[in-house]
Amino acid sequence: MKLGAQLLADRPFEHFLVARNRKRSSTKKNLIIGLTLTSMVDMFSLLVIFLLQTFSASPEMLVVGKGVTLPVSTSAVEPKDALVLAVSSEGVFLDQKRVGDVNELLVNPEPLMLALEKFKERWMQSHPTEAFKGEVTLQADRALPSTTISQFMALLPGQSYGSIQLAVISGGGV
Amino acid sequence: MISGSQHGGRRRSLDSEVNLVPFIDLLSMCICFLLMTAVWIQIGTLQVKQSHGTDAAAPAAQSLDLEVKFVNSLSIEGSLKQKNKVFYKFTANGADSQAALEEFRSQLGGALAKAGLNTLAIEQAAKAGAAQRNEMTKTVSDRIATGMITPTTGVDYGQMVGVMDILRNHLIANLGVVPVKNPGGSK
Repeated sequence: MKLGAQLLADRPFEHFLVARNRKRSSTKKNLIIGLTLTSMVDMFSLLVIFLLQTFSASPEMLVVGKGVTLPVSTSAVEPKDALVLAVSSEGVFLDQKRVGDVNELLVNPEPLMLALEKFKERWMQSHPTEAFKGEVTLQADRALPSTTISQFMALLPGQSYGSIQLAVISGGGV
Repeated sequence: MISGSQHGGRRRSLDSEVNLVPFIDLLSMCICFLLMTAVWIQIGTLQVKQSHGTDAAAPAAQSLDLEVKFVNSLSIEGSLKQKNKVFYKFTANGADSQAALEEFRSQLGGALAKAGLNTLAIEQAAKAGAAQRNEMTKTVSDRIATGMITPTTGVDYGQMVGVMDILRNHLIANLGVVPVKNPGGSK
């Protein structure tokens, strides 16, 4: 509602108040703009709480090799700390060290067997009082032929690696 | 007499504002650290007990062996055998690999029912706590000793894991993969 001259004409006190406000507003003021940080702090707090819930401090974190897309499973369990054999189209990697090409190793598995034996000897040297567990985690790309993977799995017991874990992505599934 | 401590009666106003800048710095550091260490993809493992034919003695004389054979990526055959004699056989077909797996899941339920197992109880136990699940796993293992999967050319590893996942969800604990020797056409 605008205060018109006609309205103020017969009201001297209101006229005085309006004139005083106009005089005050005509003077220059120092502009201090306050930034409301409350909502930003709320957002940060929620973000921290969410990330803390998804935080995992488990030491057994599998490093998935390049070029390996793991299959999905709904019945996966926590991975154990074991030797990792990664099979992908780029090659076969044992503990992140390249052993050879997939087709070459299927024809001549000698390099893979020697590498597995070396790891087994190293383990037994560091665990002289324990029996060899023979645990190995097999990471394989989901697009590889199942027959190829089954052949690699058949090679492992020959070097006493009888406990095979297949690395998968938890969740989703059929 | 005017007391010297009154300072002329003037009171200092209380500053009730909280300085949030250090708190925001702390939250920013926490967020940066947690974002860098966040695990967005949960990796698990499927235990495979043997990679070739089992020689394990059956825990009970009446136990069965489940054999799963891929005819191709769209057709999966399953058979329950008792002392190498076929007890029950089924085939799951689908328009694509996912449909074939879904059909296999539903056919497996029928096969387990034929073997005298309560599939509803198995499904409930699979989702229940560890104690109930372990008990039901033992019940299933007493009836179905092993689950052996035979891959074939043209079936990818992801589909084989899908079948293993279905068997695990039905609490068939002892899974194995039959090695295929010199498969024709393997790359």
